[in-house]
Amino acid sequence: MIQILLWLPVAVGLLCFVVPRRAVPALASAGSLVVLGRAIVSVAEFHTGQPGLQQTVNESWIPDLGVRYQLGVDGISVFLVLLTALLWAGATAFSAFRVPERRRIYFFMLGLAETAALGAFLAQDLLLFVLFFDLMLVPFWFLIGTFGGENRIAATTKMIVYTLVGSLLMLVAAIATAVLASDQVGHLSFSLADLRAHTLSTGSQYWIFCFFAAAFLIKMPAVLVHGWLPDAYRAAPLPVLALLSGVLSKVGAYGFLRVALPLYPQATAHFQEAILVIGVASVLYGSVMAFTQTDVRLIAGYSSIAQLGFITIGIFSLRPEGADGAVLQMVNHGLVVAPVFLIVALLWERAGSEDLGRLGGLAMRAPVLATLFLVVTLATLAMPGSANFIGEFYILIGLFQAKIVYALVAGIGVVLAAYYAIRLFQRTMHNRKPEVIDSREIGPLDAAVLIPLVGCIVALALYPGLILTRADPAAADKVDAVNAGSPPSAPPAAPAPSLTSSAAAR
Amino acid sequence: MSATTYGWLVLAFPLAGCLISAFGWRVLPGRAAGWIGTAAIALAFLSSIGALVALLDKPVQSRELTSSLYSYASAAGLDIKLGILVDPLSVYMILVVSGVSALIHLYSVAYLASDRGYSRYFSYLNFFVFSMLLLVLAGNFVLLIVGWAFVGFASYALISFWYRRHTATRAGMKAFVINVIGDVGLVFAAFFIFRDLGTFDYLSVFHAAPQHFSTNQGVLIAICLLILVGAFAKSAQLPLHTWLPDAMEGPTPVSALIHAATMVTAGVYLIARTHPLFELAPTAADISAFIGLATLIFAATVALAVTDLKRIIAYSTISQIGYMVVGVSIGAYAAGLFHLMTHAFFKALLFMGAGSVISAMAGTQDIDRMGGLRRALPFTSVLMIVGALALAGFPLTSGFFSKDEILVFASNRGGFYWIFTVGGYLAALLTAFYAFRIIFRVFWGEPVPEARELEGGHLAHAEPANPLTGEPEDTDVGFPGPEHHIAERDRPMWLAMATLGVLSIVGGALQIPGLDHVIETFLRGSFLDSRLYESVPSVLADWEGLAVGGAVALAGIAAAYFVYVARPGTSAALARRFRPVHAFLVNKWYFDELYDAVVYRPAIRIGRFSTGVIERVVVDGIVTATVDAVRGIGVVVRGAQSGFVRAYALLLIGGFAGLGLYFLIVSS
Repeated sequence: MIQILLWLPVAVGLLCFVVPRRAVPALASAGSLVVLGRAIVSVAEFHTGQPGLQQTVNESWIPDLGVRYQLGVDGISVFLVLLTALLWAGATAFSAFRVPERRRIYFFMLGLAETAALGAFLAQDLLLFVLFFDLMLVPFWFLIGTFGGENRIAATTKMIVYTLVGSLLMLVAAIATAVLASDQVGHLSFSLADLRAHTLSTGSQYWIFCFFAAAFLIKMPAVLVHGWLPDAYRAAPLPVLALLSGVLSKVGAYGFLRVALPLYPQATAHFQEAILVIGVASVLYGSVMAFTQTDVRLIAGYSSIAQLGFITIGIFSLRPEGADGAVLQMVNHGLVVAPVFLIVALLWERAGSEDLGRLGGLAMRAPVLATLFLVVTLATLAMPGSANFIGEFYILIGLFQAKIVYALVAGIGVVLAAYYAIRLFQRTMHNRKPEVIDSREIGPLDAAVLIPLVGCIVALALYPGLILTRADPAAADKVDAVNAGSPPSAPPAAPAPSLTSSAAAR
Repeated sequence: MSATTYGWLVLAFPLAGCLISAFGWRVLPGRAAGWIGTAAIALAFLSSIGALVALLDKPVQSRELTSSLYSYASAAGLDIKLGILVDPLSVYMILVVSGVSALIHLYSVAYLASDRGYSRYFSYLNFFVFSMLLLVLAGNFVLLIVGWAFVGFASYALISFWYRRHTATRAGMKAFVINVIGDVGLVFAAFFIFRDLGTFDYLSVFHAAPQHFSTNQGVLIAICLLILVGAFAKSAQLPLHTWLPDAMEGPTPVSALIHAATMVTAGVYLIARTHPLFELAPTAADISAFIGLATLIFAATVALAVTDLKRIIAYSTISQIGYMVVGVSIGAYAAGLFHLMTHAFFKALLFMGAGSVISAMAGTQDIDRMGGLRRALPFTSVLMIVGALALAGFPLTSGFFSKDEILVFASNRGGFYWIFTVGGYLAALLTAFYAFRIIFRVFWGEPVPEARELEGGHLAHAEPANPLTGEPEDTDVGFPGPEHHIAERDRPMWLAMATLGVLSIVGGALQIPGLDHVIETFLRGSFLDSRLYESVPSVLADWEGLAVGGAVALAGIAAAYFVYVARPGTSAALARRFRPVHAFLVNKWYFDELYDAVVYRPAIRIGRFSTGVIERVVVDGIVTATVDAVRGIGVVVRGAQSGFVRAYALLLIGGFAGLGLYFLIVSS
């Protein structure tokens, strides 16, 4: 039952209020592991080769408003669900080893946040999606505002203001979609399937798409609407930051695939170039920023902007390769950025600083930590042989065939990534060690969190096809929705000779 | 077993060695990691021989065998398999790579013996060999790119092996980033190929290319030029060569293996591998040949002036690869690849000798501080002279046969290709001169104190210091170990150098005009579709070219003898007389300064500008305006100042509580 997956985290979070104080971290960790187990089952039960939904739940919820409690997974979301469960298990366990004050509320909020994130990935009803999307904000607001570092209040206010603007626009847009579509559907319905079958007129699509796009771009964030990122990243507790950057940023990109492409195909085609410009700008701007920062958190933060830029341009190549690559890259990015932030926490415990100028030389006494960080670094810079490379390869080849110029410009981002990622590794692990650093090896408990995460990176590097083959039918379906729905005047995507054969094979 | 099974074994042994050394770093005693690593590569070499034998059993027309393990990343019409191609070209390459690598591993067993990063070193070195073999065995462009990037990473890891030296980490970063530029070039070449031909598979691409592309079609030239970006980044050709001299920060055996014998020749291999594309795009091939020629002469001039022993040899490597690039670009595939092999022998030998010399000098690398080491290092000096002779192209050594064959092929091709012959001989003169500049400066002249100490039976020691900056260093992990090892005293080093010395002399016998042409015959199976492969010069022309080459080599050596032995002080006088020229050469034509001013500093400036202006004014400006707007709303609902957010949050939590409650009721 997919419901267990969805509601177990918050249920465990509630239990944290009743069990003895000492048992709270263990309970939370155990709960997150059970959720992870259930997510693995969900992947195992997943049938490859189908574009449609699986493991669905469909109940009436608010019949008067046409809101349904509709859940399900497809090839796009199933691995994002797994990623969410995995990173939450990691972050929860990592937090359990260094228990914060007010632990009950902390672990409850983590659980609530997991439910919200899973809900956003599972929801198949537009309003349900919007609700879960907004619900994520609440626990993160508490987690950063209560447990964060310096300037946490200002940082959370800024983050909330930004995302609320997006959220409210999205809420308006969602309601407008259902209301405008109700004539064709026959009744008020928020079901994604209904709305996809009856798309709106082009004019309505345009403004509604813009509202959704604003919300998604802020969440990722994309360049120019990333103003909340530096402050929030500086203030957030690191396990929370791992989740913020690893999972929450993906919800925005996921929203494009789940909502924008199938529901507003004409608008997507219309605004393709605009979003591509934003995406490529995010790639370049994020990369350049990442290589001039000295705060480790901000390097990872700006690199996230760049990576999300890649994911965006993959989706908006409006080619199946690009969309496949984007799905793969969402998982990849989550898998690499979360360990980076956990390692930053370890660095802080050793050096008392997160500034490159005060770090260095850790590899000598902590070779295992350095090796783990090296693997993560290489995956971050999308070294060929990593799954991240395959993700970028698919993204860029999709874009290359759709809009070659954007692909060539985005290629610069690949080189810049090599520079900032290696710089981050070198300046923390190599060179001479400043006197103040207490250089010691990673502890067994932390290793128990990091090694499985790094193991996942390696495993995925050996077989990225695991995700690609499962994501392909659903991702191609979303892209086809746009390419089929484009008005005839727009030039149809020129199919390469190879594609026809692949379509036949599929 | 079939040739492809051997191919997989060739890959499996180094990978296994790498993993054993990596995971056993705490438990492997003494030199165990070194011997395991060496054994792994030796087994790979034996498997390569197995592949060779299996391949020779087949008729020439059917010596292109493919095999794939599994579908690595196939979706949406992209078919990307983990597949290898075993053909004469790849077998030739794995023989050279694994053979030379085995010897360099053997050398390292002793050379690195006192380094606390011993296991790590062999793990990296094995990984490098695995990557290099993957690169040459790859059966499609994607796997090629993977191998390509892996060797780039291995090179990075080994350049910054002594990772507490900031000079080493900086050099590693430079090598890595330039290599990534090459990777990106290859990736886009693969994109073009896929867009037009619908496949990444070598054989399908080469098969379809002649039908699909007309000669010199624009897109094909673009593909070839992008391939060249990759090839030149890895092979340190102009203008992407600046990383290689800095790469000398790595341990000397690494310089011998990666930055002389194997990895840097990958570009040559790649051009030879994609020859069906280059033959269809002669313009691109000519561009490649001219860049090779320019690099050849440029690097030789720099090698005349720099004084760091390893960097002289590094510039020599850049220059020699220029010969190979010219060779494979003008169609002299067999000759170019032959030179790749002989160069691997004598250049690895020269680096090993340099390692021995540097050890004897207690870490000093500056040839201005060396001299008279002939008696202190009898074995090393003889072997280095052998290496220098082969490099100079002294008659009947291996370099003599391989280099001149390229130049004769060029003159035989007609048209403007005589330029390559003339330029090649000019560079050969410079080569002979700088090769013996090393020999005469290091081994002749008045013995320096370290040489006298060693003649007295004691190996000189100095406080460990960075040879580049003079910073003092401790000898813990991350810096070179406390002891020094010279070939005279360590059997593994001795054995490795002696073997390479023999190969440097007799290696030319594989391909003597008029007598035999083993390599040309064997490689033919990979070049059946080539128009140029068969257009070999006559035996007479070959020997004429060899006579000229021999004379040039002798002239260069004689000039070096005159300048450094007969009239010492001549070179200093020349440097004074032509001060601007000398400064220009010593500063390596100011390429580093140029890139610093044109690429690095502007990028940093853009970053600073973004931090200072865009982030503060534009991005924060938006939020300030938004906050003001929210405050404006807040005035309206003053009763709950800043409670806007909280109310919304409460609403949401309330909603979800309601949702939960609802389902509790429904499900009961």
